[in-house]
Amino acid sequence: MHNELVTLINSKVGGANATTSVGEAGDASITVEGAKLYAVCEMLKNDPTYSFNVLQVITGTDFKDYIEVAYIMASFDPAKNYELILKVKLDRNNPEVESVCNLWKAANFLERETYDMLGVIFKNHPDFRRILCPEDWTGFPLRKDYVVQEVYNGMVVNPEHKMNIPDREFNAKQKAAEKAAAAASGAAPAQE
Amino acid sequence: MQELGLVKINHDGQEEALKSELLTLNMGPQHPATHGVLRIEIKTDSEIVAQATPYLGYLHRCFEKHAENLDYRGIIPFVDRMDYLAAMSMEWGYVQAVEKMLKIEVPERAEYIRVMVAELQRIGSHLMAFGTYAIDLGAFSPFLYAFQMREEILRLFEELSGARLLYNYIWVGGVWNDINKDQLDRIADFCNRMEEEAKKYNQLVSYNEIFVNRTAKVGIMDEEMCYQYGATGPVLRGAGVKWDLRKNRPYSLYNKLEFDVCTATLERGVLGDCWNRYIVRMNEVIQSIRIIRQCLDGIQDGIVMAKVPKVIKLPKGEIYLRTECPRGELGYHIISDGGKTPYRLKVKSSCFTHTSMLPDVAPGQMIADFVATVGSIDIVLGEVDR
Repeated sequence: MHNELVTLINSKVGGANATTSVGEAGDASITVEGAKLYAVCEMLKNDPTYSFNVLQVITGTDFKDYIEVAYIMASFDPAKNYELILKVKLDRNNPEVESVCNLWKAANFLERETYDMLGVIFKNHPDFRRILCPEDWTGFPLRKDYVVQEVYNGMVVNPEHKMNIPDREFNAKQKAAEKAAAAASGAAPAQE
Repeated sequence: MQELGLVKINHDGQEEALKSELLTLNMGPQHPATHGVLRIEIKTDSEIVAQATPYLGYLHRCFEKHAENLDYRGIIPFVDRMDYLAAMSMEWGYVQAVEKMLKIEVPERAEYIRVMVAELQRIGSHLMAFGTYAIDLGAFSPFLYAFQMREEILRLFEELSGARLLYNYIWVGGVWNDINKDQLDRIADFCNRMEEEAKKYNQLVSYNEIFVNRTAKVGIMDEEMCYQYGATGPVLRGAGVKWDLRKNRPYSLYNKLEFDVCTATLERGVLGDCWNRYIVRMNEVIQSIRIIRQCLDGIQDGIVMAKVPKVIKLPKGEIYLRTECPRGELGYHIISDGGKTPYRLKVKSSCFTHTSMLPDVAPGQMIADFVATVGSIDIVLGEVDR
């Protein structure tokens, strides 16, 4: 199904550069150009053979050198019943993509959540603000380099008496031991 | 404040301009009708809701960030704490996604047990929805009846897993503990009594005239709106769409089992209103009993745990797997980089999507009807905020 979809996207939307990628296991996905995302989504939603009428979820992932946003859509029709993971790769310093709120109203909350957690800016969103964290929170929690702020509105975020120090020490010790074992066996150390 | 307009009144020849404004009212964060810590800011024009804005995040624990630092087995207890009223269904979806990545075959007995506990959980969750919905609308005693039956399910789960609400029972490769003959007999007995009880509930609440007047033709979410917002579960089926993942994308044993997909019955009200969403749940209880009975007939002796590697490492890749939970579709999107912990774990929560429908359905409703609408979509805030 994915190969046909790639041909369809590339023939209908110029410059979309759709490519498919498959992992060692699990589901395949299609990656398109960020600038053409809205056009691709519009085409997929209105295409008579696939008609992805439901946007299930928007996932953002921080891959350290770029941010990937995945739009998972499905067709709720017993005869079609397709499911697709559509991805865009965005610049990590300036992640910007067109909002798809006009196509699926579900995108409203989902895009707000992606912004809240990863700092992806969705252009032309009708009500663009944080959703789960407080409005005046700083930083984007699901970025890999996120460090929680120490004081928020005069409150200490992680007070010492609430930290689980023995657990932390134990985990640090275990991690050090693992690293030493990996170094001893000559294998490359596991990625953090 | 939004200006509605000026009303000119003539008092003894003196013209006076009365300005009418919208009143802002906060429903929550502690409010019995929101079933948890949800705040909805309502702008009202006397008794009519003009605008409703949900404010989420009061129960936000950033489970997705936690999951990035936990191994695949360690995530299961965290998953429980999302939808704490249907923890078994939450676990099952997650575990299936991991098993599919690892290509593990689950023993047949374990599959039967999983289907049974998931359906019992569905009954338990719908009983909770039934009881609290009646309380929202001012009837107290149905809640007590519902909790009496739910208690038996919880007792059984407690014997199976050691916990009453957050089970950590369904593990990667099977289930933690085998079920014995006595417990199977008790499930069969429970099914018989539950069927009788369900009739009582229908007499007491479902076709009660006061209840019907409060819920029929209230809070209409039609088919087009459901697709727009990606609504699933009883909300979508209440709009008359025959869509159930157990039938449309069967997983586990569901293609062997016989059951009907419950949709809006239209005995009262119109498509997509509160009453039809409610009756879908009540009918699903009966279908769940049917499924459990078939499982009780089909279950064979055997092992309940497959061989699973000691340290679970998922192959590089990603998976999106969705299952049908009591409140709607639950999806897990796992991205793995080949390590011991997931690189990214995203949960598609049905309650989150259903909450996003509230601003659209609220305008024009009475405040009391809005309470009925919030109750009828049956949200659990643990799953909304994650």
